[in-house]
Amino acid sequence: MNTLEVKNIKKTFKLSRKQRKLDKTDEKYKVAVNDLSFTAYPGEIFGLLGPNGAGKTTCLRTISTLIKPDEGDIFVGGSSVITDSFEVRSKIGFLTSELKLEDHFTPNYLFTYFSRLHGILEEDIEKNRNELFKRFGIDEFMEVKVGDLSSGMKQKTSIAISLVHNPNFIIFDEPTNGLDVLTARSVTDYLIDLKNQGKTVILSTHILSVVEKLCNRVGIIINGKMKVNDTIENVKNSHPSKDLEELFFDLVKEEEEGVLL
Amino acid sequence: MRNVLTVFKKEFYRVITDKRLIFTAILLPGLAIYVMYSLMGNAIGNEVEDISSHKMIIYTENMPDDLHDAIVDGTTPVEFHDLSDITVDDVKDKIYAGDIDLLIVFPEDFETVLDGYQDVDYVIPSVSVYYNPSEKYSENSYYVVTSFLGNYGYSINLDRHGDDLTIFNTSLEKVFDENKESARGFAMLLPMLIIMFLFSGAMSIGPDSIAGEKERGTIATLLVTPIKRGELAIGKVLSLSVISLMSATSSFIGIMFSLPNLMGSSGEMSNGIYGIKEYVLIFLVLLATVLVIVGLISMISAYAKNIKEASMLILPLYFVSIIVAVSSMFSGEASSSLVTYVIPIYSSINMLVSILMFETVPLHLIVMIASSLVYVAILIFIINKLFQSEKVMFSK
Repeated sequence: MNTLEVKNIKKTFKLSRKQRKLDKTDEKYKVAVNDLSFTAYPGEIFGLLGPNGAGKTTCLRTISTLIKPDEGDIFVGGSSVITDSFEVRSKIGFLTSELKLEDHFTPNYLFTYFSRLHGILEEDIEKNRNELFKRFGIDEFMEVKVGDLSSGMKQKTSIAISLVHNPNFIIFDEPTNGLDVLTARSVTDYLIDLKNQGKTVILSTHILSVVEKLCNRVGIIINGKMKVNDTIENVKNSHPSKDLEELFFDLVKEEEEGVLL
Repeated sequence: MRNVLTVFKKEFYRVITDKRLIFTAILLPGLAIYVMYSLMGNAIGNEVEDISSHKMIIYTENMPDDLHDAIVDGTTPVEFHDLSDITVDDVKDKIYAGDIDLLIVFPEDFETVLDGYQDVDYVIPSVSVYYNPSEKYSENSYYVVTSFLGNYGYSINLDRHGDDLTIFNTSLEKVFDENKESARGFAMLLPMLIIMFLFSGAMSIGPDSIAGEKERGTIATLLVTPIKRGELAIGKVLSLSVISLMSATSSFIGIMFSLPNLMGSSGEMSNGIYGIKEYVLIFLVLLATVLVIVGLISMISAYAKNIKEASMLILPLYFVSIIVAVSSMFSGEASSSLVTYVIPIYSSINMLVSILMFETVPLHLIVMIASSLVYVAILIFIINKLFQSEKVMFSK
């Protein structure tokens, strides 16, 4: 039951006048994702690739119940994001790329705060905290205010906070963005650990090497549509160069030319 | 309820563990008001003392001795000079420059002329007074001298007509509640100041608590937790209300202790006139008002994209409240219409006025508090809806 199924979701946004001006379009609506489907299984990392504005964040927000799809549905461990959003929230750990924790609080305080909001028992909070903080090396800094932590430590704290309730479904949006090599490595190592624990991980990233290294399967979204959805090996083999980066560029180019035509 | 408490505690903890925020949002308002008003009161008192102790420099010509002696014997120190070695024009120049306070010129043989008041060809003599109303010492000299001049004229009339001039005697007895005299001063100033400080207290923390969550991206992390949006809204509004109330209480204490200092120079004012009952009632009104104000600020903050936009959108509301508060400042009495007590902010101001004037109508108080609670419920409902709105929560 730890499967995450995205079924034919469509999400349209109304564009403000300012957005229309920025996008240089007269269209009042923008289809962010269109007929998007994929399935992520337990014990695997599903990579979501796509250029900026392709619809990756919309897809992740829809999975996380922050926004509702106009059409289609998503089932997280059998629970629908439309009808069982509360249940879905207790099953997922969501890390947004835009997260900046409040400087004033310590990792310890924030961990306890979010744990309580997730309804975790006090004794379990301590156990989870010890485990996660030790894993990320935050234990030494748990009483240091977030504002005084390095950016790497802040990101590790954000990851720990998104996992306070030991969720089976992990949705990470650009978790290694802006991190130094060592910190990025500790994050990717942790993702592999989560996969090995049988968790279902969805990872959105721009870094193709991360996808190649970590993901079992990959979905490439361009202009809101799923262009490719297969195992890494199959995806690579589908291109003459056997290279994911080349395939990605060709897909983007193809889409751009298609739009122009 | 557990989640409301968790959110409440976090927001409260945010402020009370931040020394700078405690100082700026809670202690500073009261301290600043006390220091500011006390300094203003002292400055006004010093100014009055300075004017009354200033030795008036008065130039005279043909001034009657009686009048001269009366002014010298008065409470204001005076230094008389005659025009023997200076011209009228030079004196006028020096009055203009502020070096001389006043010039009073009587006609030659003034007293002799006055004695002939029954002569057929009698012409009423003119006394010329020159002063500079833009100079404080000169202006005060004018009031002092014209007062003596009036008394001098009256005494001449008495000499001419005897007691016939007195048509009736006036017996003056003040029948009033001394407390009400002080109360009127408080009722005129306090409501406006309280609304201002309630707003500024809530404005200093509200936008960061809600719009700040959007700006930092923590709203997404918060909204993917399995808590109801309504619990989040109630927790935020309640914690902000308690902090704003603390800020307002600090301001209130500052006002109560500093107003007697401020008003000391113009009248008696004592904060000892109010008892426990008035303070409890004021606290109730403050609580109801702060809930409405925090509710409004939270609603705007939930709608705004970031802290800057929230602060900008709150400002017009703040100005409207100040205008409403100022409009009630000069009447000094509360409205008797029941409808007044269902209008947010305006009801609070009228209620405060009536409490401070010892004229509380229980029905008005009940209506004011009940309507405030209804408004808060509506505002929390709207905030809840805003938290659920994809467009509002995640628009760029």
